[in-house]
Amino acid sequence: MKNIGIISAVVAFGSLGVLEQAEAQLYGTNTFEFQYGNLPFEEDTDLTTSYNQLNLYYDSGKFSLYGKAEHFLTPIEERDYFKFTQRRFQYQDDNFRIRLGNFYETIGSGLLLRSYDIPGSIYEGEFERTRYSFARDLEGIAINANNDWAEIKLIRAETVNNLLPPNFEPDSVRRPDLVEAVQANFFLNDNISAGAAFMRANTPNSSEYVEYASFMSTVQLPSNFQLFGEYAFNTESTPFAFQREQTYALYAGLNYYIGSFGASLEYKNYNDFSLGSSAFNDPPSLIKEHTYPVLNRSTHVPNPENEKGIQFEAFYSFEGGHSLVANYAYTVNEISNRDVYQEYFVEGAYKVNDLLSVKSFLDFAIDEPTDQENRISVGLITDKSFADSKNIILDLQYQTYDETFQPKKIENYFASLSFGFNSAFNVSAIFEASTQPGLVDNPTTFPEIETDPRTWLGFNSLYRVNTSNTVSLFVGKRRGGPACTSGICYEILDFEGAELRITTRF
Amino acid sequence: MKYLLLLSLLFGGFNTVENEIPNFRLKNLDNRTVSYNQIKGENLTVIDFWATWCKPCVKSIPEFVKMDKEFEDNEVQFIGISIDGPRNKAKVKPFIKSLGVDYPVLRDTDSSVMARLRVTAVPTLLIVNSDNEIVYFHEGYKTGEEVEIKNKIKELLSE
Repeated sequence: MKNIGIISAVVAFGSLGVLEQAEAQLYGTNTFEFQYGNLPFEEDTDLTTSYNQLNLYYDSGKFSLYGKAEHFLTPIEERDYFKFTQRRFQYQDDNFRIRLGNFYETIGSGLLLRSYDIPGSIYEGEFERTRYSFARDLEGIAINANNDWAEIKLIRAETVNNLLPPNFEPDSVRRPDLVEAVQANFFLNDNISAGAAFMRANTPNSSEYVEYASFMSTVQLPSNFQLFGEYAFNTESTPFAFQREQTYALYAGLNYYIGSFGASLEYKNYNDFSLGSSAFNDPPSLIKEHTYPVLNRSTHVPNPENEKGIQFEAFYSFEGGHSLVANYAYTVNEISNRDVYQEYFVEGAYKVNDLLSVKSFLDFAIDEPTDQENRISVGLITDKSFADSKNIILDLQYQTYDETFQPKKIENYFASLSFGFNSAFNVSAIFEASTQPGLVDNPTTFPEIETDPRTWLGFNSLYRVNTSNTVSLFVGKRRGGPACTSGICYEILDFEGAELRITTRF
Repeated sequence: MKYLLLLSLLFGGFNTVENEIPNFRLKNLDNRTVSYNQIKGENLTVIDFWATWCKPCVKSIPEFVKMDKEFEDNEVQFIGISIDGPRNKAKVKPFIKSLGVDYPVLRDTDSSVMARLRVTAVPTLLIVNSDNEIVYFHEGYKTGEEVEIKNKIKELLSE
């Protein structure tokens, strides 16, 4: 009965979209995903699930309301849930905004606090395979005020541990930390901005607050140089004493551009800076986040407990649409051992003509935190278009490395062939293979240990029905593993079966 | 059964709606707040949502730079909206300069305008007519799709 009510609400909201008027608007997005399949290595596990996420907005003049409802159904009823997972009231005029409820906000560059939402993402919890929106929001109140020379934000909110699903009880465990923060930024002239932040956080079951402060600045230097930085610290630590027993985070960078050339150099130094029980901050990683699957899985995740490093990147756009990107990252952390991460990356894109382009990359890394040595990754992507809007993309990638404790060379293969029939419809086949010991062994046959390479083959199709509706279908086996988007890394679980997703804007 | 019911009702709820664009306000790369109405085009406004970390965006932006020049006499205004977060905002200017972008680029650091326009992926391109109606919505980018976008602009200009 409850489900019928929910369904009615979804449809009713969808239908109300057509009633929108210029003054007041009701609008939203809906994402529905249906999975039918089994757990990897097991044939009779029923992994049939249905997930729906409705984002509903109502605007009237300067006021707006927002709500997010999530609904998950599985064969195991105890895991089913329907929840209004976010709600927000907002008032906004030209220079002032107040939000009550769930919202996203970042202090400075994220050294003290970073919340985020990855639109369209659906996260799957590792233990119960519960699906939910992958967002790290804040729940409370936020006030922003600004004019041309100053910006001020005030926050009082509870953070969330987004590794726990929305139906996790008690909610106090899911939202364990209370943060109160104020940040002020001043634009002193066209070239200099400076700011400061103060934040205090209340740890669970304690009335005591831990206090932090932060200073930040951006300076536009002559000749297209730009310098920026932020230093944050626990107020009980000695400021600018970069010692192991202190609690601090320093992030700084220098940018430069001239014509079609751009470059950036960044520095990080973090110590004892994973804040709160839900780790609500997220210092910049200074590691290039690649979109190539073999490299994206290998993205180094910084450890704010202790990490120093630099990142240098240079890029050049040639006449005719060609481009070149070079990136170097060096990171060291000294928690129990001294672990070094080093990566050299170069990527070139060459546009043969308006209908054919080729892109390739070469990456070499030493990744001591994950015991990977001499990791070499290469890729070649060929993109061919035709005059009638059809398009073919062939993407080939390969990775190999040595494991510190294994004599065997590990190999990963990725191949994808994609056909675009027009901008509204495309299909693709994805093949992957790996010799990684943790992936090739079938845990259900223990104590036997398999060593043959493991393969995955899947087929994707995507159809944009119109400007409001998109349907995508995946059939086959999908390789899981770490994935990073927009600086946020999480785990994707293996899947075997069929997955249908319908996205609607209304 | 419950899955089938949900599925059929969702399909039944399919709709297409033309939307009016709000007069949103965002900061530009010089930290000045500008409103949509201040920079929109007389005939058409083309809004491109992008991010420095988005590969298809990097591919599409040079095409929009060309189109911006091609249609500048037709009162068509291109606007780029970067959804890079606060910690990436310093990278936006050198990135955009290296690609030769001359049209206004705004920063939607908390993705609030993106959510307001129901954009859920980057790149997404919107074309807005002189009545402030979103008349075209294009998600994603693959080589060759610039032809479709260009044709759409021509078609809208001829209406």
